[in-house]
Amino acid sequence: MLNYVLRRLVFLIPTLLLVSVLSFSIIHFAPGDPAEILMTGPDGIADPVAVEEFRERMGFDRPFYVQYGIWLTQVLSGDLGYSYMTGQPVGEAIVQKFGATFRLALLSMFFALLIAIPGGILAALARDTWKDDISRFISLIGVSVPNFWQSYIMILVFALMLDMFPVGGYGESGELMYMILPALTLGTASAAVLMRLIRSSLLDVLDQDYIRAARARGIPEHIIIAKHGLKNAFIPVITMLGLSFGYLLNGSVVVETVFAWPGIGNLMVSSIYDRDYPMIQGTLLFVATIFVVINLLVDVSYAYLDPRWRYDEDHD
Amino acid sequence: MKYSSKYILCFVLIVLSINLALSGCLGNNDSSSSQQNGDEKLLHIAQTFGPSHSLDPGYDWVGWYVRQAGIYETLFSYDEDMELVPELATGYQVIDEVTWEVTLRDDVKFHDGTPMDSEAVVYSIERVMDPENKRSSQYRFIEEIYAVDENTVRIVTDEAFAPTIATLTDPIVSIVNPKVDDLAGEPSGTGPFMFSSFNPDTRLEVTKNHEYWGELAKVDRVVIEYVSDPMTRALKVEGRDVDIADSVPASEVSRLNSLGHIDTVNKETMRTAFMYVNTNKEPLDDVRVRQAISYAIDREQVVNAALEGFGGTPAIGMFPSNFMWSFNEGLEPYHHDKEKALQLLKEAGIEDRTGDGTLEYEGEPFTLDIKTYSARPELRPSAEVMAIQLSSIGIESRAITLESGALSADMNNGDYDLALYAWGIAPTGDPDYFLTQHFESGNTYAEWTGYSNPDVDEWLSIARTNPDEDVRMEYYNKVQQQVHEDCPELFVFYYKKTVGLSSGVDGFILYPNEITFLTNRIAV
Repeated sequence: MLNYVLRRLVFLIPTLLLVSVLSFSIIHFAPGDPAEILMTGPDGIADPVAVEEFRERMGFDRPFYVQYGIWLTQVLSGDLGYSYMTGQPVGEAIVQKFGATFRLALLSMFFALLIAIPGGILAALARDTWKDDISRFISLIGVSVPNFWQSYIMILVFALMLDMFPVGGYGESGELMYMILPALTLGTASAAVLMRLIRSSLLDVLDQDYIRAARARGIPEHIIIAKHGLKNAFIPVITMLGLSFGYLLNGSVVVETVFAWPGIGNLMVSSIYDRDYPMIQGTLLFVATIFVVINLLVDVSYAYLDPRWRYDEDHD
Repeated sequence: MKYSSKYILCFVLIVLSINLALSGCLGNNDSSSSQQNGDEKLLHIAQTFGPSHSLDPGYDWVGWYVRQAGIYETLFSYDEDMELVPELATGYQVIDEVTWEVTLRDDVKFHDGTPMDSEAVVYSIERVMDPENKRSSQYRFIEEIYAVDENTVRIVTDEAFAPTIATLTDPIVSIVNPKVDDLAGEPSGTGPFMFSSFNPDTRLEVTKNHEYWGELAKVDRVVIEYVSDPMTRALKVEGRDVDIADSVPASEVSRLNSLGHIDTVNKETMRTAFMYVNTNKEPLDDVRVRQAISYAIDREQVVNAALEGFGGTPAIGMFPSNFMWSFNEGLEPYHHDKEKALQLLKEAGIEDRTGDGTLEYEGEPFTLDIKTYSARPELRPSAEVMAIQLSSIGIESRAITLESGALSADMNNGDYDLALYAWGIAPTGDPDYFLTQHFESGNTYAEWTGYSNPDVDEWLSIARTNPDEDVRMEYYNKVQQQVHEDCPELFVFYYKKTVGLSSGVDGFILYPNEITFLTNRIAV
């Protein structure tokens, strides 16, 4: 097992290298002159002399591969560089923003499971009845409603009409009160998908022979579902869960913007608009790492849910 | 049940404990923001953008944020009518063509008690002139700055430069405390409010400066939240999360007004939306065609349809009428006139010869694309309305919205017909910058349009080097008149900004240059 994890971690290196080359080249060949964009103020572009000086100082006049090489050597020595825009160390900015995103993602996941697990089980047990139809209807709405619209509706209902939560913002340090509405918004969207998956996966499992055998042995139905059904039904769900969590950790630009939540999604998008290369590269590397690590965790969790993985040495 | 319930319970506990640990406490819901904590008067503000790292006014555009927060002041500034007024200075004198003498107030102290004197002024300006400073080129005209005595400073310029005093209103030359080493983390200014705490991109808190040289602030503590979404800012003031919401969307103004507990202030700012015209491209090189486009645009309709009537006022010239350098009263506006537009186009050889309802130029349909960018939400609908207006007289026209970096690349390559932009026209209150950049041959924006007029070049040079305001005015008026006739840029509307105020907020003033926001006069 340990070997497997280590091997997967080693594969992280070429993945990240590829991500960095791709992102560096895509952003380089995107139209727009970084020196000019970075030197544009509220009254327009600074005078050409200043733009030219800035270009030279930042090394934008060098060939693309030289710029990449400089950046890579710097990163290999453990320095992600400084934001061209704010002068802040990139690592510091990521840690700052990721903290906010991480907490929001965690709470969103919690809400998602809170809705999806009981909803999915209920729908599976009541297959093809009106309860199942209602659950199908709800998840259809959950996936189709755009985030930004749902965000405003949440604010209108829970913050303005019922006055239970603040409209948006981060408070002094992102207190729970400020987190609930954005987390509900993100959570319901993930819940919709998870709920359907839990239902179908549970139905598959409940059709298996060993479940029939268990029933024949007279084991009470709730134990069959909880112990034999759910555990096995969770294998595909865990994969989905990992993916959803990965997306949540990337930060949702829309929800972050509407709720004024200072997360990593906005950091990434604004750095792309600003052509803030070190920041773009830093956040992308970080996000790619998160994805790889989460996938790894998902795979490792299979081993615990499915004993066949533990004993089969050739599975990877 | 054994496994699943245990897992779920574990998960719940982990989520809650991490969140509690990270946030410290549950936090309380301040549904009424301007609550009185004992006798403390607290004011909540929602603004658009704030500093993300450094709080040093000398860095990039951070000066705007820390001045808006009432921490820093400049030697001179602009009042609500865009009149230049002394702030930390008491006045200035022109010694000779290149020497300006500024006298300072003698009763000003920094927040730590250090007196503000000529040494601090020299320090504050010299550090911006340092070539390492990203914006130093703006102050490169200064040859030397030195202290004459404790309260007098002289500025020597490399050549006669009339806007010298105006450049001292830019918040980048906020007067900072030379005794403080880490201005990025510990702001120390002279303003009516003192720095208290800061959370990057989200929140800045200031407290009343009891030693302020002017009238003391009427509130004790101010929390400024940075909320980039305009709709959320409107909802925040509606839900009484904040007392003041900066720049609320035009679409929300009528609704907020109807609520009863919200007042709105709606005022023109120093920002103009206009279209660059590519005069390097046929037939746009013909002045009659450019004038025809100007007649074909119904500015009134743009403002009413795209900006809901609250977001702007139809433009005449480049400068809003409330700006002292504006020559709008002397210009003949391009009133919407389809007949005149068609007449001018016909003279330029553009007319509907095939009878299919569209105009042709040299046998081909006459097309004009209006490009604009997404960062300013008002521009896209405005471009769309104008494209429809052009289509209605038979010009095939589309509105194309790009990301701003991509659009400026197109502009530099001359790959456009018309391009709708919005820029601040005079952040330092002087017309020289805008006019020079846009209409003097060879400068950035004159290159974009391909505009070059030797008369305009000469007038601009005279006005820039003559310190006499009346002489400058005369030449700037001539430039505005000429540009109005030549139409290298078509001015569409002047931005109007709306600020939402919770009833009970008193003394708020909207400054047209948007550099001053939180003042000592605001009370709750």
